[in-house]
Amino acid sequence: MSPRNRILGYVRGATASRPRVPHPGRFDGRFLVGDDRPPMERFAEQFTAAGGEVERFVDTEAAVRWLGEFTRGYESVTVGATVPGRLRPALPSTCPDLAPLGVSAAVAAVAETGSLVLDARDGRRTQLLAPTHVVFVREQDIHQTLVGAMVTLQPDLPSALGLHSGPSKSADIGQILVRGVHGPGRIVAAVIREAGPV
Amino acid sequence: MSERTRPSDYGAESARIVRDDPGMRTSITGAVRSKDEKRQAAWAQIDAGAWRDWARDVKTHVLTHLDRYLEEAEDALLRNGVTVHWAETAAQACDVVARIAADHDARRVVKAKSMLTEEIGLNESLEGAGLEVRETDLGEYIIQLLDEPPSHIVGPSLHRSLEDCRQLFHERFGTPLDASPEALAATARRILRNDFLEADLGVSGANFLAADTGTIALIENEGNIRISTSIPPVHVAMVGIEKLVPRFEDLAGLIQLTARSATGQGIGNYVSLIQGPRRPGERDGPDEVHVVFVDNGRTRLLADEHAWEVLRCVRCGACLNTCPVYRQTGGHAYGWAYSGPIGAILAPGILGLEAAMPLPFASSLCGACAEVCPVRIPIPELLVYWRERAVEEGLTPTVDGVAMKSWAALAEHPGAFALASDLVGALPLERTGRKLPVLRGWMGERAAPVPSPERFLSTSSGKEEST
Amino acid sequence: MPYSDAATAHLPDEPGGDTPTRPSHVAFFATCLADRFFADACADAVRLLEHLGVSVDVPPGQTCCGQPAYNAGHRAEAARMARQTATVFAGTDQVVLPSGSCAGMVRSFYPALLGDAADGGAPGLAQRTHELSSFLVHQLGVLGPNWRDQTGDPPRIGSGLDGVSVVYHHGCHALRELGVRDEPVALLRACGADVVPWGGDTECCGFGGLFSTKFPEVSSGMADRKLDALPPDIDFVTSADGGCLLQLSGRARHLAKTERSPAVGPEPTAGAAPGFIHVATLLRRGLGA
Repeated sequence: MSPRNRILGYVRGATASRPRVPHPGRFDGRFLVGDDRPPMERFAEQFTAAGGEVERFVDTEAAVRWLGEFTRGYESVTVGATVPGRLRPALPSTCPDLAPLGVSAAVAAVAETGSLVLDARDGRRTQLLAPTHVVFVREQDIHQTLVGAMVTLQPDLPSALGLHSGPSKSADIGQILVRGVHGPGRIVAAVIREAGPV
Repeated sequence: MSERTRPSDYGAESARIVRDDPGMRTSITGAVRSKDEKRQAAWAQIDAGAWRDWARDVKTHVLTHLDRYLEEAEDALLRNGVTVHWAETAAQACDVVARIAADHDARRVVKAKSMLTEEIGLNESLEGAGLEVRETDLGEYIIQLLDEPPSHIVGPSLHRSLEDCRQLFHERFGTPLDASPEALAATARRILRNDFLEADLGVSGANFLAADTGTIALIENEGNIRISTSIPPVHVAMVGIEKLVPRFEDLAGLIQLTARSATGQGIGNYVSLIQGPRRPGERDGPDEVHVVFVDNGRTRLLADEHAWEVLRCVRCGACLNTCPVYRQTGGHAYGWAYSGPIGAILAPGILGLEAAMPLPFASSLCGACAEVCPVRIPIPELLVYWRERAVEEGLTPTVDGVAMKSWAALAEHPGAFALASDLVGALPLERTGRKLPVLRGWMGERAAPVPSPERFLSTSSGKEEST
Repeated sequence: MPYSDAATAHLPDEPGGDTPTRPSHVAFFATCLADRFFADACADAVRLLEHLGVSVDVPPGQTCCGQPAYNAGHRAEAARMARQTATVFAGTDQVVLPSGSCAGMVRSFYPALLGDAADGGAPGLAQRTHELSSFLVHQLGVLGPNWRDQTGDPPRIGSGLDGVSVVYHHGCHALRELGVRDEPVALLRACGADVVPWGGDTECCGFGGLFSTKFPEVSSGMADRKLDALPPDIDFVTSADGGCLLQLSGRARHLAKTERSPAVGPEPTAGAAPGFIHVATLLRRGLGA
């Protein structure tokens, strides 16, 4: 008998006479300590409290102008596959492991946890390897709750989703917090209200 | 490789650490108190009672339907293009990984922090097969350099101060002795970045695995898990069979509760939700993903009518952070991968009760752990349960059994009990206590208890005074 | 154990309040440790109950509640002692103990240990067993019904502890099995005591019954954490558990003798280290009983 069948056999034997307990239901809004603020505000508060930066733009034009300023001083960039053309910086493209700056587009964000939801289709290396990371997200894609975001994304899952909720951090060196240990030490959530045509 | 202790060494090791290494206790105590305070603050923001009830019920539901969920998960994983393996023992689990490595001519492995891989001794096994294994979590990297076991489930290098790290990095990498924590971290980042890029294989554990979508969920703060599971061409996830969760959406609650309980964060800085290898059209990601379902004593625990509740554990470490016994020594005294209260009730199932001794007894049963467990594991009850089993199986000193039977016999005969109690009062305990069994343990560290000149019951004996 | 929310046994119990009328008669269970090492506290507990208008019976034949055996995994021996105790206290009124851990043992574990013993044995006994301070507050109602809602000073019930400063050690079983936490502190304050905040007052002292002898270094280390955190210039360290007091005072006296640490002595003298005293003794003094 294979290890698989033996293990499953042991499991069946172990659970056979035990009373079955039903699933308690979705982890839902009833558990949230009441916070009725708009998602954008909660997201910004959580994300900045964790050391991230938030920039807000009324529309894509404003974001493009800001990006031009922001990328002054960077010599190259790595850009995610799903970043809209207008939001791709006018900089030479380079390998993600050499680029000083990475630019991504998030498929969603979560207000209650201050998280950006990044999709493998955009390119994982771009999201992880550059020391500075700019992530564009539409304000309308900010979900109030994590469970809400997950239920929405479930029908079309890529090979991996990453929830990024601030700069990379560790307190493993003498319990002192340091940033940028492996992932980006600086992350900017660039939120666009009226995204317009891509 | 340095000498690793075993659970059976707990008595001697704990005594040694308390006596000779006060710095350890100070570091551990400072670190865990900080974590516990953060957990308290994070729980105060939510309806912690309701969250804990929900989490307990989700995990209990899974465990009472585990065969069904394992099969469902396997189907989902296979649909996603993941290769699924099953390992009954630690040795088998290590062999599976070694075979995968051999199949790919792998030489270099990067590891994300995984308690399961510590439990099965994966690193030693792979190194024995000639592979180079690099821990990438900063805390794990530090203890790997020091060749030490982890001292805490969540913070493996908790016992090491900034000074220790400065010294270590100076010796290994030539950084200045007064290097800042940022400089040390930057050094580690640079070195490990190369390892990530050149690795043939990335090995991770799994915090949870959702059965409906086959999603492997991993929680971290540094980013090394995201990187180790994205860059190497092959990713192997070691998954204890108890890590299953029914639905993708259930991950939301469990991830948040685990983060709040472990570090006080609303969520871990990085959460990976992995569905399988890279798909057509995706720029990167591993070409192959393997999941190894590991038993290693879990089915034995599942079959135990009392101990099965331990399988709800989400490895948050909250029980360690509140345990007054754990903070005296840190994790090393426990002699295996999991320390503190959870380690003591898990060990008899994973290692067998005899090998786990005396861990179930290494507790004062204060109950602080049960108050903080996010999935409401009745830890003190399970400690007592394992003690009962130890007594039944003859694993406790004979003299204890003799003493208990005598005590019970006396208790059933009040006249004799009273006589014995009078005798205790008459003994010069301060002088003779050191020679007596049981009492001897007391006397080394404390003055003998002073008996009252007369026992209460010998004076009152049921007589009432008029009021 | 079937799947059950067993962990809630360690969540705050809502003590008592079930008796429709104020009890006028109780049975007293001295407990073996208090009988031998805190006989004065037992007598003080009886006297203060009588002072409050409760007549006290001390049933003969009482020995040990069985907790040391139970906690050490010797379930059969614990059951034997539980049966003896249940027999001695069968059919009595409310049972009062000067011990949080023994009261916790009876309330939490006797029903499972003894099963459905007839004669109103275990189940009834568990429900009518009370630790002393819990009994005073919840059954006798000495602090009134809204004692928890009081802002400012609690209503006075005595003045015998005016000018006395104490720290309160919360024994783990009283705290987590019985949910007794504010009761003894409120009682002490209501007698005029200054109950001084003490960091780590709810942390285990390291006694744990036989744990203290099996792992003496760790146990003593736990006591040291408590002792190191003692505020200066207090008169007494007090608790509802004799075992905890033996542990803390034993360690304190050992340290004083070996001159390793802040000296603390067994008896209070002016300007010296605190004494270790059972809460029953303080409350008797406080009530002027």
